[in-house]
Amino acid sequence: MLTYAMRRLLGLVPVLAVAVVLTFIAIQAIPGDPILIMLSDQSADKALAARLRAEYGLDLPLWQQFLNYIRGVATGDFGKSFRFVGVPVIDVIKDALMISPVLALAATALAVPVGVIVGVFAALRRNSWADTTVILVLIAGISIPNFALSAFLVFIFAVKLGIVPVAGWGTLEQAVLPVTILAVPPAAYIARLSRTYMLEVLQQDYIRTARAKGLSRRLVVYRHALRNTLVPLLTTIGIIFGGLLSAAFVVETIFNIPGLGRMAIQAIFSRDYPVTMAIVLLFTAFYALINLLVDVLYGVIDPRIRLGGGPT
Amino acid sequence: MTKLAMLNSRAVLIGLAAALALAGAVEAKTFRTNIRADPAMMDPITYSEIVAGDVLDNIYEGFSEVADDGSIVPALATKWEASADNKTWRFTLRRGVKFHSGREFTAKDVKFTMETLMTPGMKGGLTTTYLKKIVGADALQKGETKELAGVKIVDPYTVDINLVEADVLFPIYPFYFMDAAIPAEHGADWWSKASAGTGPFKFVHWKRGVEIKLDAHKDYWGGAPTIDGVQFLIVPSGDTVLSMYDAGALDFSFLPELAMRRALKDPRYAKELISVPRAQSRYMGMNQNLYAPFKDKRVREAISAALDRDAMIKGLFNDAGFPLHGVITPGVAGYNPNIAKVGFDPARAKKLLAEAGYPDGKGMPPLEISNPPDFKDEITYYANQLKRVLGIDVKVVTVERATFIKAMNAGEVPFFPWGWTAGYPDANYYLSQMWHSKSPYNRARYSNGQYDALIDKAQTVADPPARFKLYHEAEKILMDDWATIPLPIPAQVALRKPNVKNVTMTSYGYSSFHKIEIQ
Repeated sequence: MLTYAMRRLLGLVPVLAVAVVLTFIAIQAIPGDPILIMLSDQSADKALAARLRAEYGLDLPLWQQFLNYIRGVATGDFGKSFRFVGVPVIDVIKDALMISPVLALAATALAVPVGVIVGVFAALRRNSWADTTVILVLIAGISIPNFALSAFLVFIFAVKLGIVPVAGWGTLEQAVLPVTILAVPPAAYIARLSRTYMLEVLQQDYIRTARAKGLSRRLVVYRHALRNTLVPLLTTIGIIFGGLLSAAFVVETIFNIPGLGRMAIQAIFSRDYPVTMAIVLLFTAFYALINLLVDVLYGVIDPRIRLGGGPT
Repeated sequence: MTKLAMLNSRAVLIGLAAALALAGAVEAKTFRTNIRADPAMMDPITYSEIVAGDVLDNIYEGFSEVADDGSIVPALATKWEASADNKTWRFTLRRGVKFHSGREFTAKDVKFTMETLMTPGMKGGLTTTYLKKIVGADALQKGETKELAGVKIVDPYTVDINLVEADVLFPIYPFYFMDAAIPAEHGADWWSKASAGTGPFKFVHWKRGVEIKLDAHKDYWGGAPTIDGVQFLIVPSGDTVLSMYDAGALDFSFLPELAMRRALKDPRYAKELISVPRAQSRYMGMNQNLYAPFKDKRVREAISAALDRDAMIKGLFNDAGFPLHGVITPGVAGYNPNIAKVGFDPARAKKLLAEAGYPDGKGMPPLEISNPPDFKDEITYYANQLKRVLGIDVKVVTVERATFIKAMNAGEVPFFPWGWTAGYPDANYYLSQMWHSKSPYNRARYSNGQYDALIDKAQTVADPPARFKLYHEAEKILMDDWATIPLPIPAQVALRKPNVKNVTMTSYGYSSFHKIEIQ
């Protein structure tokens, strides 16, 4: 078990290395001189431009900039922000660091039980009007874009009814709307999956056997069927988490949550490349880590997976 | 639940409600407004950015300040006098001014601030530019000395500034004087731990991405503010700003562009809306060296007369714009309210172009109008309008921002709209930087000896009304020559709740928060 986890963890190194190289290349490929943008109305001040260029190491040859960057990332130093002139990137992002993952985890924690319950509910009432209604709601939940849903819910619950704050971060009330909105599409997705899996499982022989034994319907569904539904669901959680991280860009901006998503948008618009690069790397790392965690958990839940020999 | 427990919980509830009401009452005295991003810095030395300025303006002060109407009034200096050659300025400092630390503000703090700004390694920001003419500035910047020779403390309330060349604007430069003892007490990142100004509010904290909090400075020389503090909430999204304002989470909101357009269209905001022209001179640059027809004044005037500014303000700016008829924008000291209006006159435009030898645009060499991608709509409007009214084919080209700025600075762009934002509150900023032949920011490379002479002369006239007269003459030369085509200037739009008094928007941003009342 431990060796498996360690091996997977080591496997992350090349993934992150590729991400580092790709972000560096992407930033170099973007046209424009960040120093000139930084100077704004003092763009003709050559001495100031030279001073800043040297301070940021942008006067060095590209290969040297690349080496410095790699060395920095390896030691946790992402360089200095362009917009917050002279401030280390790590100081800019440190307060925002955990907010997006926490949001994504909270939304997952909400989406999984809700999704499973709704899915099972629909599966047990297959082809009834209740089932059809649930399916319609699920399609809506998956297809309504989060910014539209946000605008609607903010107007109703924050502006008109005043029961939750419009925006902000720090209190439980402030988290209610953004977490709910983030949780809607994955909950709908999980519900659809668990409905399908449940229907499949309910047709298995062992379920028939359990019923034939005279077990109550409740016991059959919750002890036998549900368990076997959960296993395939788990694999999708990694994908869902990735989707939540990108949805955080929009939801954090709308709800004014000072997380990495909102910060990434600001950094992109103000051409703060070092901050953008750091956030891209962090998101890659979060995504890779959660998938690793899911794989390990998968092994724990499903005894058929041989841990020592890897997933095949 | 037993009766006792119920009673207890009721008591707790009542207590809680009372506490909440109390908290509410206290909170109501905090003025809540929004800024669109974290400031780039929070200290007056490296200060170089507009959002930081919105906050720092309430914490720090200079010799003078700008009143709501754009005029200059004394602040930390009560009086300033120039020597006959305008090379020495004597400032009489206000007595009894208390820093946020409780120490008294005196001449040594002026000297300290100026020296710190110029010291290598201190990363002096925007205000450093204003100190370059002080005697000894060069030596200090090169690290040859530690003192700024040109700043002389005569007594604690009098300071003399010696300049290498005359600078009549020195008293109006927006300095932020700081408490000289603070860095020694708190170390290099003092700005995060202490408040070093004399302004009506003191710095409390900056939670990155969340808010900046200021508290009232009870010993403020102009009288203690009536509100307890200021909360600048950092809100990048315009829609969120409007929702927060609607829900009562903001007392005053400075609207970002998109929100501004929504608010101007919505009648329910009409009574709470403030809209003023921004201190940004906008113009159409026509480089006569790069495009031969621009050498003909009639062509330049024809282009101006072909532009329908009212339609632009309505359509392109969604009413968040103001017409400009010269170079100096309303709300900036030196503005000429009697300047001749520039209008839309398609018949005259056609006639002028024909007279110049290009009837219906025939015979005009290929012309390109260029700008960074954010202004594509605007340049497309100009190209379309010039085609419709004058028959000129204009190609629309967008260029990445930094590349474009570099090309403009090098005088390589023939035809472009651009704006120039006033860095200090006097029209000289526009006139000397945008159109003087010696300025690196004269991006259309206009050159007129008569104009240069007037500006050079204005820079030796310390008396504002006399100086403004020269500005008006110089501006008239530009307009008579159609050196520039004034373009509509963007509005600064804010919403103010009816219970909030004594705060408004000026051309430069927020008015002072000193006298704000929340009822």
